[in-house]
Amino acid sequence: MAYLRLISQRLVMTVLTLWGLATLVFIMIKLIPGDEAQVAAGPGANPEQVASVAKRLGLDLPVLQQYLNFLLRMLRGDLGTSVVSSKPVLTELAAVLPSTIELMIFASIIGTLIAFPMALVAASYRGKAFDGIARIVAVTGGAMPAFWLALMLQFFFGNVWRITPISGQHSFGIASPNVTGMPTLDALLAGDIPAFLDALAYLILPAFVFAIPFAAQVFRLLRASLLGVLASDMMLPVRAKGASTSRMVLRHALPNSLLPTVSLMGVLVGGMVGGAILVETVFARRGVGSFLANSVALKDTYAVLGAVMFVGIAVCLVNLVADIITLMLDPRIRGTQFGAGAK
Amino acid sequence: MGVDTILTDGIIPAPVRRRPEALLQVEQLSIDIATRDANVRLVDNVSFGIGRGERVALVGESGSGKSVTAQALMRLNSRVKLSGRVNFDGKDLLSLSPSQMAAMRGQRMGMVFQDPMSSLDPLMTIGDQVAETLRIRGISKRNARQRALDVLDELKVERAAERLDSFPHEFSGGMRQRVVLAMALVGEPDLLIADEPTTALDVRVQERVLDLLDEISRRRSLAVLLITHDMGIVAGFADRVMVMYSGRIVEENEATLLFAEPQHPYTRGLLEAVPRADVTVDRLRSIPGAPPVPAARPSGCTFHPRCDRAMAICSSVEPGEAITPSGARVRCHLYGAG
Repeated sequence: MAYLRLISQRLVMTVLTLWGLATLVFIMIKLIPGDEAQVAAGPGANPEQVASVAKRLGLDLPVLQQYLNFLLRMLRGDLGTSVVSSKPVLTELAAVLPSTIELMIFASIIGTLIAFPMALVAASYRGKAFDGIARIVAVTGGAMPAFWLALMLQFFFGNVWRITPISGQHSFGIASPNVTGMPTLDALLAGDIPAFLDALAYLILPAFVFAIPFAAQVFRLLRASLLGVLASDMMLPVRAKGASTSRMVLRHALPNSLLPTVSLMGVLVGGMVGGAILVETVFARRGVGSFLANSVALKDTYAVLGAVMFVGIAVCLVNLVADIITLMLDPRIRGTQFGAGAK
Repeated sequence: MGVDTILTDGIIPAPVRRRPEALLQVEQLSIDIATRDANVRLVDNVSFGIGRGERVALVGESGSGKSVTAQALMRLNSRVKLSGRVNFDGKDLLSLSPSQMAAMRGQRMGMVFQDPMSSLDPLMTIGDQVAETLRIRGISKRNARQRALDVLDELKVERAAERLDSFPHEFSGGMRQRVVLAMALVGEPDLLIADEPTTALDVRVQERVLDLLDEISRRRSLAVLLITHDMGIVAGFADRVMVMYSGRIVEENEATLLFAEPQHPYTRGLLEAVPRADVTVDRLRSIPGAPPVPAARPSGCTFHPRCDRAMAICSSVEPGEAITPSGARVRCHLYGAG
């Protein structure tokens, strides 16, 4: 039961966080210079139009009433209407979201595939050459600013060596029918392997921009917690059983280090949603980030605030999932509910 | 195991044999640790033997080097430098390769540690942790599980079959120590090293765990090296006792003789500090002062600053080993041989 209680605690925390975020967004709307109705009606609207928009948005009501209406709209999933396209912000976001998710998933996979083996080997051979080199590489990787890393990757891989495309999502003419909104998955669904490889080639550079700092941080935490577990009292009996170093690391240190590492990965993946603004813009990719950047450039206030709200929700959900995974990994919390046979 | 071993074990019943065939022979074992500015000798030239099926206690205050010695026998601590010889069943453990040494652990020698709360992996089931000793040797999952169950039954873990899939946090302290014991015993070792196995447990649980250990060591004729600071639990368990002080063994004798006629002033001090049911004293005596740290040992006999019978020679000359009429090996100037 402790398990369910902890999960519901996390859920309550998520709801409270989102409420706080919504309140913040509402305050931002009110703090924006100029008349809100004028902003909503768009530049060049005449006074009658502005007045009708003010009436439609309920701007003549008391602020508290407006705030409650705003929260109710959020609950219904109404993030407002874009002034530029006059489509609901949610619809526009839903169209670009899969592309961002594709990028984040791919980046997390690459980052994990780099960080885990590196940390496992480094911890197994602590203080040896590999450990030293890996730590230097991790510090370097973590210290590189994303915009610079993006430009360097484009320059070397796309321009000097011409291994990968520089920007975009797929080459002209080989886009597969849009089913999921993720170019790689769409190509696979269409059974079109060349298109899949093409989309993958476009995906790889932006994914590495996320994956390198991600891997650097995950590596450092995982290595440190592996070493922590290896130095704990728990490992002496395992050693006394005759276990090899690799067994101690893989069977005991790794499971015990996963708890903090998964939590960190949740936070980092959440952070990627924010980082998408830069990466998607630099690589000219469709996505929540480039939508947000475009909306800012077009002064589309409701689209920007809607996207901010949306990014906040995404970050909260990713963290919630990471929290739940962490809870499920620990039998002390999981209790007897999923444990086989006990009692 | 040679023919003569079988003969000896068969003909002479365990309680009678005075000196069983040596299983472990430690010769001039020294343990050093390199600190930032100096090499510190934690254990200095220790020699002792343990026979097959023999129960030996290594007694001393914390910091005397007893745990370091115990871990050195299995080469568990890679940060210390070992010198001397540790012969186990004819092999010098200190010259084995790391993988040869790993093959000895768990199979020929098992070890139990002080704190059962932190000795188990919280994320692995009890059954898997006990069976791991066997799985490492390539024994099938099913056989390993069955043998784990047998050992847990032997250690009187109730409803062991149902609890194989439980996690450590579902066990009490005493039960966890039985699991830790099972991990050490499941490989059927010849020697069990028990490093303060009952210190973290309350008194009644202590007794039960010791009784179990006693029973199993007799049944399996398992040699046990019991490391403890508690003279009280030594008396009923050990055949022979070694007293360690500041990295040296200062006295060694048969348990009954050591308790009846302690020779070294330190041993006497230890025994006088233990409450006894058969003797009424106004006050329990304690040894004044604290044991020296290894980096700053006193000259001569390291015990002389705390000794109530210290003589002039004690502060300058290190006493050699002497054998007293009661059969004790003792390092003290009171017993001649300098």
